[in-house]
Amino acid sequence: MATKKLRRARLSHDLCERLSRHQITTCQDFLCLSLLELMKVTGQSYYDVQKLLCKVSQACAPKMQTAYEMKLRKSVNPSSAFLSTTLHSLDKVLHGGVPCGSLTEITSPPGCGKTQFCIMMSVLATLPVSMGGLDGAVIYIDTESAFSAERLIEIAGSRFPTYFDSDEKLFCMTRSIHLYRELTCGSVLKRIMSLEEEIISKNVKLIIIDSVASVVRKEFDTKLQGNLAERSNFLARGASVLKYLAEEFSIPV
Amino acid sequence: MQREVGTLPLAPALRARLVAAGFQTAQELLETGPCGLSKEIGISKEEALEVLQLVRQECQGDATRSAGGSGATRKCTALELLEEEQTQGFIITFCSALDNILGGGVQLTKITEICGAPGVGKTQLCMQLAVDVQIPECFGGVAGEAVFIDTEGSFMVDRVVDIATACVQHCQLIAEAHQEADHLKALESFSLESILSHIYYFRCRDYTELLAQVYLLPDFLAEHSKVRLVVIDGIAFPFRHDFEDLSLRTRLLNGLAQQLIITANDHRAAVVLTNQMTTRIGQNQSTLVPALGESWGHAATVRLIFHWDESQSLMASEMCSLQLSLRRQKGLK
Repeated sequence: MATKKLRRARLSHDLCERLSRHQITTCQDFLCLSLLELMKVTGQSYYDVQKLLCKVSQACAPKMQTAYEMKLRKSVNPSSAFLSTTLHSLDKVLHGGVPCGSLTEITSPPGCGKTQFCIMMSVLATLPVSMGGLDGAVIYIDTESAFSAERLIEIAGSRFPTYFDSDEKLFCMTRSIHLYRELTCGSVLKRIMSLEEEIISKNVKLIIIDSVASVVRKEFDTKLQGNLAERSNFLARGASVLKYLAEEFSIPV
Repeated sequence: MQREVGTLPLAPALRARLVAAGFQTAQELLETGPCGLSKEIGISKEEALEVLQLVRQECQGDATRSAGGSGATRKCTALELLEEEQTQGFIITFCSALDNILGGGVQLTKITEICGAPGVGKTQLCMQLAVDVQIPECFGGVAGEAVFIDTEGSFMVDRVVDIATACVQHCQLIAEAHQEADHLKALESFSLESILSHIYYFRCRDYTELLAQVYLLPDFLAEHSKVRLVVIDGIAFPFRHDFEDLSLRTRLLNGLAQQLIITANDHRAAVVLTNQMTTRIGQNQSTLVPALGESWGHAATVRLIFHWDESQSLMASEMCSLQLSLRRQKGLK
């Protein structure tokens, strides 16, 4: 939305030409300037510039929805709002399971079972909806190289022996779990940015990142001065992209 | 009438031409007339007419302002302001200790900033306020609507449903206790559906959308004149990443703050912002301070900082900025 070109904001052609001579091509550049600078750059009067500002703002402002509409939309499809973890006490505490459309963070001291939990969630996501799953693919971004395919098959076999009775079903399930091994912050960020197309093409219903903290702590030493800012920059950018993906596709992350 | 040509809100090129042609005051422009103006500067007659109309409008605006009429700058005595402040309502928060600290609740026409560590309850408080602003006047509320601008995506409709249901029940209990006619009539329109349909929700993904939304806010509020609360949940989030140029960030934030102040005053609405906390690393220790820097600290009239005390219960302290006459610092458990 921010990088929307001014041409598509329905400004006149000569105005766009004039602005591009000053390197202002997107709505973001336009809105960052003050009124006086805009007057100088567009060569128009104060009131005209205000009208232009309104026009450009309308091009990139978000749409309004009332809380009531949101509630109606949610109540229309209640079952798709959560991915049940099949652990009854956990589901009760989470009011249904891992929520779709938002980020869930799992933290614990080492050895508690976070990676095992993630592997189990991947199995659950590939199950058909009738069994409580999401019937879709899973994207698993692994930064610690802790994912074990054998463990995956073990879990699937012991939890759902009736469903995974044939090798065929196991192959199907493992084929829909896409594993990416990323070892640096930069590659994790690049991978997250490229996820949008993959989600659509592979019908992904769950994104797991295991784990964010390990790769960040490896690369950024908080004792050095500049690193704190860079680290929070990286985390914030990753978080905003993941939030966008979760909300846009209504999938749990 | 003696206004200088350089201060008129014309296009810069036109202004430059007028100054180069030797015009100094607006009076001279008006005396020349459109045909003379067009011949001297070399613009068309229509453009010259437009310029003169603009100049006339500006001078009229100046005249009424200097005569003390209603214009962009209003003069009134401090007594009138005091009376106005005392009669206008507060938005209660349903937490009596918090209302005491705030002097009755969240004030209209002021900007209130809520800071705190993650998880302390800032978004919950904002959702509570969005419901509380709609309480009818006979129950002590302001009977307004709410605009909720969300940058972090933490707005949960189910939670708002819970809060609204509890609020309606609370008002029903009061109505039963007092048994007055206007209470019951107000209750008819104060239902879950009406509360939810009067919360206008905007989801801004980055700072450009936020800026655009704040520019469009005055028009929106003019259409929906009953709005008495504007909540921006997470003003820090879009500005904290992807910003190499810190001076641009400061400038944008100051512009944003000014526009919010104008909006709050013009529409008699309360503006509530939530801010994140950041660590300031000092000589030997590090402290949690509100994010976005020192200059942002001057934007809000009232700043509420929430932090957990040692016994893990909630503590709130308030620091009023220099605009208010009293400086209160209270802690509550």
